[in-house]
Amino acid sequence: MAYDTGHKQRLQTVPNAGGVFGTDVDPGLGGLGGSPDGPLNIVHVFWIAGMSCDGCSIAASGATNPSVEDLLLGRIPNLPKVVLHHPVLSPGAGTEFIRPFRAAVDGTLGAPYVVVLEGSVPDDQAFPTEHGYFSAMGAGGFDPESETDQPNRVTDWLWKLAPGAAAYVAIGTCATWGGIPAAAGNITGSMSLADFLGKDYRSALGVPVVNVPGCSPIGDNFTETVAAVLLFLQNLAPLPQFDELGRPAWLFGETVHRHCPKAGYYEEGVFAEEPGDHECLVEIGCWGPVVQCNIVERGAINHMGGCMVAGGACIGCTMPGFPDKFSPFYKAPPGSAISGGVSKVTGGAIRRLRRMSMANGNSEPLWDNAGEIPSGWGRASGTKNPVAKVNSFFYKKLQYSGSVNQAKRYKNQPLPQSRDILRQKGIDMEASTPVLQEHWVTREEL
Amino acid sequence: MCFKNLPIEFDAAGNATLKAGVANPYTYTETPLPTPIEDDPERMRQLFARNGAIRRVDFDPVTRVAGALAFHTVVDLENRQVMETASMATLFRGYEIILQGRDPRDAIFISSRACGVCGGVHAMASALACEMAFGVKPPPMGVVARNILQSTEYLYDHPIHLSLLAGPDFSEEAVRETNPEIWQRALDTRLPGRAIHGYEFMSELMTDLTPLTGKLYLEGLHYTRLAREAYVLIGGKFPHPQTVVPGGVSASLTASDLNEILLRVVKYFDYGRKTVAIWDDLADFFYDVNPKYRDIGTRPKSMIEPGQWDDPYAYDATFENADDWARQRWAPPGVIVDGELVTTSIQMLNAGVEEFVEHAFYEEWTGSGQDQKFATDPAGNPLSPYHPWNKQTIPKPTATSWKEKYSWSTAPRWDRQAMETGAYSRIWTAAMYQNYRTSDYIEATGRSLKVQLPKAELPNPLIEWTIPETWGAFERNRARAYCIPFTAAIAYENILLAYDLLRKGGPDAKMSTPYKVPKDERMGVGLWSAGRGYLTHHMEMDKGVIENYQILTPSTWMASPKDPFGNPGPYEEAVMATPLLENYEKPEDFKGIDVLRAIRSFDPCMPCTTHLHMDDRTITREIISCACGSDGPHDH
Repeated sequence: MAYDTGHKQRLQTVPNAGGVFGTDVDPGLGGLGGSPDGPLNIVHVFWIAGMSCDGCSIAASGATNPSVEDLLLGRIPNLPKVVLHHPVLSPGAGTEFIRPFRAAVDGTLGAPYVVVLEGSVPDDQAFPTEHGYFSAMGAGGFDPESETDQPNRVTDWLWKLAPGAAAYVAIGTCATWGGIPAAAGNITGSMSLADFLGKDYRSALGVPVVNVPGCSPIGDNFTETVAAVLLFLQNLAPLPQFDELGRPAWLFGETVHRHCPKAGYYEEGVFAEEPGDHECLVEIGCWGPVVQCNIVERGAINHMGGCMVAGGACIGCTMPGFPDKFSPFYKAPPGSAISGGVSKVTGGAIRRLRRMSMANGNSEPLWDNAGEIPSGWGRASGTKNPVAKVNSFFYKKLQYSGSVNQAKRYKNQPLPQSRDILRQKGIDMEASTPVLQEHWVTREEL
Repeated sequence: MCFKNLPIEFDAAGNATLKAGVANPYTYTETPLPTPIEDDPERMRQLFARNGAIRRVDFDPVTRVAGALAFHTVVDLENRQVMETASMATLFRGYEIILQGRDPRDAIFISSRACGVCGGVHAMASALACEMAFGVKPPPMGVVARNILQSTEYLYDHPIHLSLLAGPDFSEEAVRETNPEIWQRALDTRLPGRAIHGYEFMSELMTDLTPLTGKLYLEGLHYTRLAREAYVLIGGKFPHPQTVVPGGVSASLTASDLNEILLRVVKYFDYGRKTVAIWDDLADFFYDVNPKYRDIGTRPKSMIEPGQWDDPYAYDATFENADDWARQRWAPPGVIVDGELVTTSIQMLNAGVEEFVEHAFYEEWTGSGQDQKFATDPAGNPLSPYHPWNKQTIPKPTATSWKEKYSWSTAPRWDRQAMETGAYSRIWTAAMYQNYRTSDYIEATGRSLKVQLPKAELPNPLIEWTIPETWGAFERNRARAYCIPFTAAIAYENILLAYDLLRKGGPDAKMSTPYKVPKDERMGVGLWSAGRGYLTHHMEMDKGVIENYQILTPSTWMASPKDPFGNPGPYEEAVMATPLLENYEKPEDFKGIDVLRAIRSFDPCMPCTTHLHMDDRTITREIISCACGSDGPHDH
């Protein structure tokens, strides 16, 4: 059946296109639901992708503490259940997916909602709709009477959802600061969410934009922040601390270098010369000492990995200056010439002294007494060179001054009699015993 | 030889040349598209005289795909046919212009961020393009480390599609909502694969595919994480790895890392067996219910596959030798046209690629095929003015019109034919390749691909994927499931290679080769597939900066709008051929499950589908200023 819109004939549409799960979806993913009265038991989260690569969604899907399913299934006691509307995860498509978004804009959702933006905001509000869009979601305009079939701009959703949102969270460096789509030379006029909404923006609960940066961010940084905000919305905890740029202060307060497993190399003045070396990476382009990030202690996923942990130099991807203020990548930051140079001089001396102390710590007092190390693995030797002896003498003086040196007091304790038992029993250790013989299988046979 | 439509012929020695005596050989005449139904009052009248059940059904957005995709259809709900389709990529970011003029060392980290679902493969393709341009070859350990990265990325990527994106369309809730009679049948259908996957009845399996609460959904989510844990031990982070560099990998790889990776990868042996059994049973069940399910999402068996996983000793980063080293990949390159493998030459694969913009929000740049910077590639093969190395895309956002322009995706074609690509093109090409590399676990038979993994907990039958007779949505998903054990075998083989190299030490065990950024003009290309198929990065650099950078991705091939010859893109073509088997009484009840299953079977990934490159930044001002007028907020 066709009807006349006044311009041209239009085909009739179907009311529930894409609603392959029915209109009454189990809360958690998609659907309406909630009640304006009573305790807060449901919070809708509208996840919107602007100029995005979906990497923040993928990162969030990797979070484990809490995991996305923990939040969506209401597994965390006293936290409201999160109903997520997410283009990559929601069961319903098209009309069915868009329905709750429209309800939120119209104020008929019946439950509080949080908006999460992934990706930067293009400047397509600068030109009229008939010139198209840079990023779109859904079609048909916002006015119920509208007869347009043109795509709806994401930027329209973003500002229309802003006043009613309980909180507005920017995830990832694109949404928080602008990121790559806003890099020098871009032609879309892309910007951060805060740039778009303005510095005076406050959510319905009076909170400015919350920023969880990273490209891509650590999934747990995001889910933990969401959990913290939900605790606040439940009145169970105070508003978590955010820094002057809206970052979760407890996650982004330190430089990544301070907790870096390679920072000890820096202290001892040894540096990687080429990619793949194990030492501190500042001379092959690592910006870690001046970048606020927690990936080396939090890990990239489930406490595994992390840039420098794996051997990758920090390129500042959590910072507002990313990428332009940290490129060209793989080139040593200018500051590292001074700090690294100083570290090479002082660190070189410290490193040598430490190696001597470490050698001492690698010998059990019994081995010192016997003058022999019971290892068949290498050139471990129980005898010390004269320099080490002198060093050890003064080191121990300092270490035990005002206390006792047990090892020294019992220096004359007799050696255990069953030491080196196989030799005492006369077993020939030069003769090999072919235990594997016929049990040996090659990889091909496996 | 391999080209039917391009003006390329081969001499006696097999070298490709342009056909002699043809003026402007790549010029074509555009075929106008038919008038959309809604713009044709006469056709509307005729249609409704016959049939009152014609509806416009738009899926905007198509969810459970990566990125921004919208899909327009007109359907005849009486005859259960699709009458009109249009595929729309609804996002444009302009990554390539951001790369232009930059230090080429920035390309890997910036282009990786084109896609957050499969960002690792972009880093890889970009590294290959840089290596070719710089003339630097990574040491074997660098290549092996990349192979491990690539395979662990796929071991995250395939489960995310099968469990989180496509799987829910076969879950209890979706089946009961759209085809309740099939649910009834599922309740008493016993499953052949129960010894492997553990499900006695199809209904139990479908219940566990349910989003969030289903065991298979949550298990799939777990396996997307486990592989990423392995990935970040070398890559640092995911989806944008921090360690892929020109000349190798910047990972301080230790035996401990390899142990941790190995212990995760072996979990995919049983998970792979189980996933294969599930998708075998799902496909066979639906075919049994109604053989027409074979036609959901069907289209010609034409696909393009650049391949990936280089042989650590063969790869030398030169374009001249690319045919040789690429054929030794664990997934060799190839182009399949109507089921026939027409070439395994990566140079011919590259030479056949063109991109068209008649129905995309860009302007033509060649002066009707007359202007081109490079007439040939570095090996002397002819290049089209529409080839990525010659491409200059000029964006022009405009209103959406099915007859004119309606997508931010270009229309890539090989030999002027629409191609699909994906996990399936990877095993299909490998299965057909006569000289498939020697592998401890994988064997190509010409009609099938055999994978024999070491035993873990489950029974361990030979896993054999056979080239399907019919081609459609269920076969795409099935083939993707088989790619899990296939990929796990490659991961395992490369981890064992890495152990050997680590133990032997020496120059082969180094992670990277030092390089210098050259100052003269260079070309480079990374031909290296993503989890969901074809991926290339074409680079041109001069005076130490990037002159031109072009990314062509799998979903650009498949989400493609119509081409200038009037042919639809693969999604459009597949949905047109899809019978509407959904159970609805009135048109108002129609949900569109068959259309969605068809689209999702391609594993769309839209973030990296739309790109832009421009030579002249003043065009920017035109776009913005023509749009906002003199009193707009921009003062140009």
